[in-house]
Amino acid sequence: MTLDGTDKHPKEKLIALELRGVCKTFRSDTGDRVKALNDVSLLVHRGEFVTIVGATGCGKTTLLNLIAGLDMADDGYLRLGEDLRFGDNIAHVFQHYTLFPWRTAVSNVSFGLQMRGLPRSERQTRAEELLTRVGLKGFENAYPHELSGGMRQRAAIAQALAIEPKLLLMDEPFGAVDDSTRTELQQMLTDLWQENQTTVIFVTHNVDEAIVLGSRVLVFSERPGKISCEFKICLPRPRNRITKEFTDLFIHVRKSLSGQLD
Amino acid sequence: MTCPFWRKRGTNLPEDVQENRKPWRLSKLLGYPSGDGSGREPRISEARSSLGRMIVPVILLLIWQIAAGWLNQPWIFPPVTRVIEQLVHPLREHYASGSLLSNTFISLLRVLLGFLLAAVAGIGLGIAMGSIRIIRNSLEPIVEILRPLCPIAWLPFAIAVFKRGTLPQLFGFGYTRTVFDQVQLGMVFVIFVGGFFPVLTNTLDGVMGVRRNYLLLARALGAKPMQLFLHVYLPASMPMILTGLRQGLGLCWFVIIAAEMLPGAETGIGYLLIFASDNAAMDIVIAAMLIVGGIGAILSLMMRKIMSGLIRWHGKEI
Ligand SMILES: Nc1ncnc2c1ncn2[C@@H]1O[C@H](COP(=O)(O)OP(=O)(O)O)[C@@H](O)[C@H]1O
Ligand SMILES: [Mg+2]
Repeated sequence: MTLDGTDKHPKEKLIALELRGVCKTFRSDTGDRVKALNDVSLLVHRGEFVTIVGATGCGKTTLLNLIAGLDMADDGYLRLGEDLRFGDNIAHVFQHYTLFPWRTAVSNVSFGLQMRGLPRSERQTRAEELLTRVGLKGFENAYPHELSGGMRQRAAIAQALAIEPKLLLMDEPFGAVDDSTRTELQQMLTDLWQENQTTVIFVTHNVDEAIVLGSRVLVFSERPGKISCEFKICLPRPRNRITKEFTDLFIHVRKSLSGQLD
Repeated sequence: MTCPFWRKRGTNLPEDVQENRKPWRLSKLLGYPSGDGSGREPRISEARSSLGRMIVPVILLLIWQIAAGWLNQPWIFPPVTRVIEQLVHPLREHYASGSLLSNTFISLLRVLLGFLLAAVAGIGLGIAMGSIRIIRNSLEPIVEILRPLCPIAWLPFAIAVFKRGTLPQLFGFGYTRTVFDQVQLGMVFVIFVGGFFPVLTNTLDGVMGVRRNYLLLARALGAKPMQLFLHVYLPASMPMILTGLRQGLGLCWFVIIAAEMLPGAETGIGYLLIFASDNAAMDIVIAAMLIVGGIGAILSLMMRKIMSGLIRWHGKEI
């Protein structure tokens, strides 16, 4: 709820992202105004894994789009870390349509490198490495429609990592996969994050997921979206869900998420 | 399946054949692909469907032959045998107008040239109009007025502009004594107009329908505006572009026949058709009709094959 909690973050103090009083209102096709974000303030440091949890429709996607520069805020202040630039070192795993259906897995992963003008053989090698890293060896030449939901998300993550992002935005990337696949993917993402120390902003509507992944959990209130609460998660990784600390935290986050209604 | 007649027919057959018989449909009888499309059909079904394909045409040909013999007026309604006789001698010269084969070849050449130009221009302009609003807004009124115009209506104008100019003349070769001398620019222009609008409008629809998500994804991965054309707009609208190409090629083949039948033409399968009709050679007329129809079908089939190979992902976007 305040910014000072993050000031005590033990990692380097370099700022990746700062938002202050950001507001966003949409005008729907029928002319109604929908206030999606109301006075959102947020400070993210380099190397943090921040999860944002909130109900569907509370403005999580809108927030990520603002950060990614895909949309403009109406009001407020938004600052990216010095060397962070959209289209360069900020990757975005979208909620839907995360892969190009006309490209194979390997050519999806190498898309970003192709745009940067890397020679074919080089990007091929790099993409194959990444696919192996996310557990898709042998599926290099499969089209997205030939992959399962979980495999597509793996490919999408590899596609985002291919551009070696310094900031990784993820919009409910595991929203459409079954529970056991979801757990696997969470584990994989945690490992990747620990290897690369990329700054991650991960949006989800799943409280459990937010706690398993995040070094910090931000709770988003109902629309208009606003960060209502913040939890620092110090549980050791890999995180065990079946511990008292975890369930206590779960109950806390859950309460603050639904507390808005009381 | 509740029809007792079919059930009775199936009872004497081995079980796997009976199994195969159950989803009996007209599509199967006619040999169209049917069912869930998974795996290959057993061979017995293939044999039967190719037989099914043959039955109706053979019966019609028989009726034709008998009726023509009974009517006995070959200048109006020649027997099948005489038409077939023409078809198996495609190199036979007819008066001064060339053979069935040479005229067909000339028509095809005109069509392919005009169609290629139409494809390049239609796809290019379609992508530009679909993705850049200013271009779309400024060109849309012109397109909307010219599009409904029958391509044949351009012929007088095209002849006035291009006179009797041919392809070799355009490049300064004069008269080359090759088949290219028969490729009149006016004809090519009319074919171009015929193919251009289907390609353009389909490409335009395809580009306008490109999911915004794919553009965002590409931009997030670092695509520059020019790269979006090549790597998003073009592949994403490929299904519609190919549909446009198929429609365009079909229309081109329509248009060339009509154009060649008009006064002023001296070669082409359409010309041979009208020339033979003036000489009461109805067997040649019908042979030419069959050739035109057959080539149209082959062109359409070819385009369909290319399409299904290129866009296996179509309809499976996730
Ligand atoms: N382009 C838009 N036009 C109009 N309303 C929008 C638009 N995008 C989002 N909204 C509205 O803003 C609110 C927040 O949307 P979103 O950020 O997608 O929520 P979430 O991702 O948390 O489910 C929703 O009520 C939605 O209807
Ligand atoms: Mg969303």
